Amino acid sequence: MKANGNAITGRRGASHRKREKAKDFLCVAPALAFFAVFVYYPLVDLFRIGFTNWNLIRDDYKYVGLKNYKWLFKGSGFDTWLASLKVTFSYTFWEIVITLAGGMLLAALFNRESKAFSAMRSIVFMPKYIAISTSAIVFMWILNDQYGFLNFVMGIFGKEPVAWLNSERTALTSVLILTGWRVVGYGMMIYLSAMKGISKDYYEAAELDGANAFLRFRHITLPLLSPTTLFLFVTTFIASMKVFQSIDVMTSGGPYESTNVMVYWIYDLAFVQFRVDRAAVVASVFFVILLAFTAATMKISNKSVHYES
Amino acid sequence: MRMKSGIRFAVSALLIGAAVCANAQDAKKYEVTAPIKIEWWHALEAQYAPLVEKVVADFERKNPMIDVEAIYQGSYKDLNEKLIAAQAAGTTLPAVTVANTPYIAEYGASGVCEVLDPYIKATRFDIGDFGAGLRTASSYDGKQVSLPFLISTQIMFYNKDMADAEKIKLPETWAEMDAFMKKASKVSDGATQRYATVFPGWDQWYYETFFLNNGVKIVNKDGETTDLGDAKAVAVAQKLKQWCDDKAAYWAYGKDASGVMRQNFMDGKAFSVIHTTSLYNMYATNCKFKVGMHYLPGNTSRDSEIGGCVLLIPRKNSQAVKNAGWQLISYLTGKDVNMLWARETGYMPTRNSVTKTAEGKAFLAEKPAFKAVFDNLDHINPRIQHPAYTALSKVWMQELAKVIIEGGDVKAAMKKAATLIDEALQD
Repeated sequence: MKANGNAITGRRGASHRKREKAKDFLCVAPALAFFAVFVYYPLVDLFRIGFTNWNLIRDDYKYVGLKNYKWLFKGSGFDTWLASLKVTFSYTFWEIVITLAGGMLLAALFNRESKAFSAMRSIVFMPKYIAISTSAIVFMWILNDQYGFLNFVMGIFGKEPVAWLNSERTALTSVLILTGWRVVGYGMMIYLSAMKGISKDYYEAAELDGANAFLRFRHITLPLLSPTTLFLFVTTFIASMKVFQSIDVMTSGGPYESTNVMVYWIYDLAFVQFRVDRAAVVASVFFVILLAFTAATMKISNKSVHYES
Repeated sequence: MRMKSGIRFAVSALLIGAAVCANAQDAKKYEVTAPIKIEWWHALEAQYAPLVEKVVADFERKNPMIDVEAIYQGSYKDLNEKLIAAQAAGTTLPAVTVANTPYIAEYGASGVCEVLDPYIKATRFDIGDFGAGLRTASSYDGKQVSLPFLISTQIMFYNKDMADAEKIKLPETWAEMDAFMKKASKVSDGATQRYATVFPGWDQWYYETFFLNNGVKIVNKDGETTDLGDAKAVAVAQKLKQWCDDKAAYWAYGKDASGVMRQNFMDGKAFSVIHTTSLYNMYATNCKFKVGMHYLPGNTSRDSEIGGCVLLIPRKNSQAVKNAGWQLISYLTGKDVNMLWARETGYMPTRNSVTKTAEGKAFLAEKPAFKAVFDNLDHINPRIQHPAYTALSKVWMQELAKVIIEGGDVKAAMKKAATLIDEALQD
């Protein structure tokens, strides 16, 4: 009888669990459907297009096997791909440095409670709210080699004008000036909120033990900010690898492809050269690279991030 | 005998009657029979908004069944992106759109455009009133896939006051360019006070005419190779570099190059600039001096190329939309409206009934600088049509700009460009 009762309870439990699972599934189903239609399907189709000769506007196309991959890895696309990868990583490296180092430095400087500091924080953060295209156009004027404000100021100090956006040596730096101006305030705000969450007890205890400001920062602030640093690192890495708008407005990938970042190249292949087949291959490979780097970052960071709890 | 003639007459009358009936029948196929709302995508900036509104309002008055929404879609490049996206999706296509002339080859090859020949035939649209060059420029593979709309060509704008005061002779031939560079520029102690001219290196369309007029085949007849790596092309490139190295001219390159070049001309820092005729109104309005237009110098030939845009109807539209679209493009390219565009913008009149009549003379009286263009109407050729031309131009522009601005071996740079271009053409 007892066994029978247990069996009934077990069956009821099982059906309850099934119902709960179905309920859970129904709750996430809209999100899953959204992802399936707008993320996974385009992703699968992207890989498929890479095996065709489609140009996006023709109705008919053929499957061409690995032809586009051969173009990328063994043909004329290889040099451009390597150069573009180098430019993209270089841009990403400097954006991460500016966001993390600049943001942390400004956060440490502006971590004070006064109206003046509050106003300064707002001023530094404000560029994040301005549309990239708008600020890019303003920076194009500032950086113009003949009529620009920066060269005008440099001229006052007897410096020769620099072709900021039109020289392959300075074009990427010029774009990074705009990037730095936009992102440093964001980094500062994220670090500031994290700094405010660190208990003052740690600092008081360290002060009692004779630790100076640098040691307190090095041994308390820095380790306890590591989850924030990880967050900023990963989000900045992904965002900066996908940089497009500032490049499109300021340089169009030039001069001589010195700012030809990966996403701009993909766009150029698809919409300027009508080679969406090649663009799909470049995008597919880039997706795999991004995925691998993000996974590796997460894995490494799990070992080195300190959580307060 | 009389009977035979009678039969012949009767047969002829029958045939003519049948043809007329068939034509009327065909014309009916393209009529708008129910009220319809259509979109027209264009690239005419804000300063032309009142003109666009006026033209559309006039059209709607004459065609009460058709409601037109004219939408500014940004530059030709932006418009191309939007059209490609709409074409791929197969929805949200406009009934009519403008397209920059170099896109026609790719659009034509990919079947983006409705073939207009049956519409032209059925509605007896006077296509012959456009010059042969314009008809070719708006066709692909012998089919009329678009109609000439806002047409321009390459030209040298120069400071007429300076030219008159300093008696600067404008170059008619490539050989006269050296003397012109020397006379029109002001260079002392290695610094330039005034450039003789500025070469727009940001778009190969502006300088490719120099290569063509020196006998260079940019795309060979086989459609798979270029002569840009050959001696003739290298010689032209070396000359261009030499003038820039001497600081008598400069190679305008980069995103802001067009704006800076205009400003240099307006400020008197450049005696002349090479640009498009469509910008005549802009220069004439903003310069504090008289602006002249000079047809570019030639060598073995002295031709220029058609620029600007054409009008097309996307093929994927429904027949009702296409019919309304046809009404709109035949109106927009009609003789009266064509003259209106020419007067209010810097674009050229495109119809022979305008350029070769009293109306053309009146236009010239209004804009005498356009004589340089009118005198050479027979030498304005269609652009080179090849589906890989955008890829070609990108490589060429990049390699030439790099060797001229940053320095290096011109021969090696042109050879490298030619190799990459051959590959693009063959693919």
